[in-house]
Amino acid sequence: MKKTFVSILLLLCLVVAGVSAQGKKLTVWCWDPNFNQYAMNEAAKVYNKAHPDVKIEIVETGNSDNLVAKLTSGLQAGGVGMPDIFLFQDFQIEQFLRDYPNAFADLKAAGIDYSKFAPYKVGPMTVGNKIYGIPFDTGSTGLWLRTDYIKAAGLNPDDYYGKNLTWSQVIKLGETVKAKTGMPLLSYQSDNFDMLRIVVQSTGGQFFNPDGSLNLQGDAFKKSIALFKELNDKGLLYSVVGWSDWINAVNSDKAVGFLNAIWMVGTVKSRPENKGKYMIIPTPRIEGVATAANASNNGGSSWYIYDKSPNKALAIDFMKSVWASDKPEALEFYNTILKGAGAMGTYLPSQKGSNYTAKDDFFYKSQPVYQDFAAWMSKVPTLRYTANYVPMRNAVANAVLRYFKGDLKTIDDTIKAAEAEYKQTTGE
Amino acid sequence: MQKQRSYQSYLNRFGWLCVTPAIVLFCLFMLYPILSSLYYVTQKWRGATSTFIGLGNFVRMLHDQVFLQALGNNFIFMAVQIPIMVFLALFLAVLLNQEVQKLRGPLRLAIFLPSVTSLVVVSVLFRMLLQTNGMLNNLLIGAHIIKEPIGWLSDPFWAKVTIILAMTWRWTGYNMVFFLVGLQSIDPQIYEAAEVDGASKSRQLFQITIPLLLPVILFSLVTSTSGTMQLFDEPNILTQGGQPYNSTMTAAVYIYRQAFLVNGNFGYATALSYVVVLISGIFAFIQMRLLGQREPDK
Repeated sequence: MKKTFVSILLLLCLVVAGVSAQGKKLTVWCWDPNFNQYAMNEAAKVYNKAHPDVKIEIVETGNSDNLVAKLTSGLQAGGVGMPDIFLFQDFQIEQFLRDYPNAFADLKAAGIDYSKFAPYKVGPMTVGNKIYGIPFDTGSTGLWLRTDYIKAAGLNPDDYYGKNLTWSQVIKLGETVKAKTGMPLLSYQSDNFDMLRIVVQSTGGQFFNPDGSLNLQGDAFKKSIALFKELNDKGLLYSVVGWSDWINAVNSDKAVGFLNAIWMVGTVKSRPENKGKYMIIPTPRIEGVATAANASNNGGSSWYIYDKSPNKALAIDFMKSVWASDKPEALEFYNTILKGAGAMGTYLPSQKGSNYTAKDDFFYKSQPVYQDFAAWMSKVPTLRYTANYVPMRNAVANAVLRYFKGDLKTIDDTIKAAEAEYKQTTGE
Repeated sequence: MQKQRSYQSYLNRFGWLCVTPAIVLFCLFMLYPILSSLYYVTQKWRGATSTFIGLGNFVRMLHDQVFLQALGNNFIFMAVQIPIMVFLALFLAVLLNQEVQKLRGPLRLAIFLPSVTSLVVVSVLFRMLLQTNGMLNNLLIGAHIIKEPIGWLSDPFWAKVTIILAMTWRWTGYNMVFFLVGLQSIDPQIYEAAEVDGASKSRQLFQITIPLLLPVILFSLVTSTSGTMQLFDEPNILTQGGQPYNSTMTAAVYIYRQAFLVNGNFGYATALSYVVVLISGIFAFIQMRLLGQREPDK
């Protein structure tokens, strides 16, 4: 009896020792299986070539809001159930850096060379002389258009291909196509602020003053709202409510195109019927604003390492050797994910990769889309997010929607309503 | 006498021993959180730091138009959905209590089934059906009931209708089961006596069935009211967090956003929760006073 008991105990010890000796494990949280999870998987493959005993487990959270909620719960619980590495949207990182200053690992101190990353990505993750994350994807935007609908309206897509257009020219195009084919120009997620922000950012306008206080009175913002109202009133917008519904609308031929970032490549390519039909032209610019550019940004996230993680050193080594290294296999990694998912990193040495200039035959006339996005990326005006970006975004989205429905009568009323809701939801 | 006393005290001690685990769990998981929430309510919370602001959270709440709108939505849902649902559940229960039908069992099951389905799955599926170009609109247009598609999810009025429909679909069966049980407990002799006296079926319904079912109706009302005050899943998923522009925002969704998504302001969220609990309590109290004391006339 005693002998069997002791032998079972020994066996259990061996098993436990075996399991834990099996190697180190890193947990990564992110969303979007076709893009972020795919990229991290590729990174894990590269790292596992040199370190086969490290298991990198990627947990996909469904969408970025879920990840934020999970992270908040974990941080509030004092760090229970936290991952080692997690993805975070650039527009929200300043809020979390302010709220949880000790949760993020200082990677500048860990030796990452930030001069090799695009400056506009490094800005939001910098606090004082500490820099916290590894910049990931760019959200360089363009106007995506279906050339088959343009042709059906009797126009020549080459008249627009690669041109820096103004919104008046784009509206004229939209009206012609609508008249001839009945298709609205742009599919639009009405409860989402992004498209409006893309336009505001392209003008060089801001939502906040340098001291962080709200400022919606700018000329650029008013002109952007007026533009959308015009698009709406002329029937050029196909509106849906909800992100997944918008993705659905994009791939079910409800509109001629959409205004959004490079990371839509994965979605567009996931539908074989889109082959050869889409062209991407520079983001249109608003007239009458001196700082307006034909470029903008939407989204983009970065990877962060949890400061209190027991595997912090391992996580830093992993991220450094794949995401911030000049070694050939690291640069090749960036090249691979560009072709595989349209994931354009912001690690500047990687932009010499072959896929960055390659023609992509999925697009109209084999447009070298990545080369175009990279070129536009360098012209993007910087937007000040601040820590209160999310409540501002919700307040403005709601107010603008009411303006479209006719609930609010003028742009000034819209701005007042947005300011009021912002004040109430932030208590500031 | 001595033996009696010590036996008494033994029983007392034994009794306390049995109850102790339950008391410990209650203190840990209910009393402690409630007491600490009294502390949290006085804090302005910002992620990892919090500062004392006394009753500042409640002052802020008074000016918070979004929260007031959310509460208003809760009340609208209560005022419209609960009477419809209770009436429907009662009607179906009476209908399915008749002896005659063969399909009685399967029908009862079919009506009850929605309340055991996953709310998340239901919301996602309903979203697909209720899109502007979705199945429901196509059906209604094809049957020439409407000419233009209805914005079930994009119009503030219809979005509220959508929530009410989803709630009714889900909970009617659940309440119907309670009414069925209540109906079983009514003595059939009362109905026979009424028949003999010449009472019509509808008179029987209104003057016998409903008064006798009053305790069950009260239970149904109280649970539905407190459930509607806590309404979260449908507005969060079906209408994506209160869209369009907060017209389906409810108190619970707003609290969730304050705590987890927007600010990490748990202090303010706790203060909001207190108000919601208070309102639920007041409603329950009112309902019990109005309906609880009345004895049906014998």
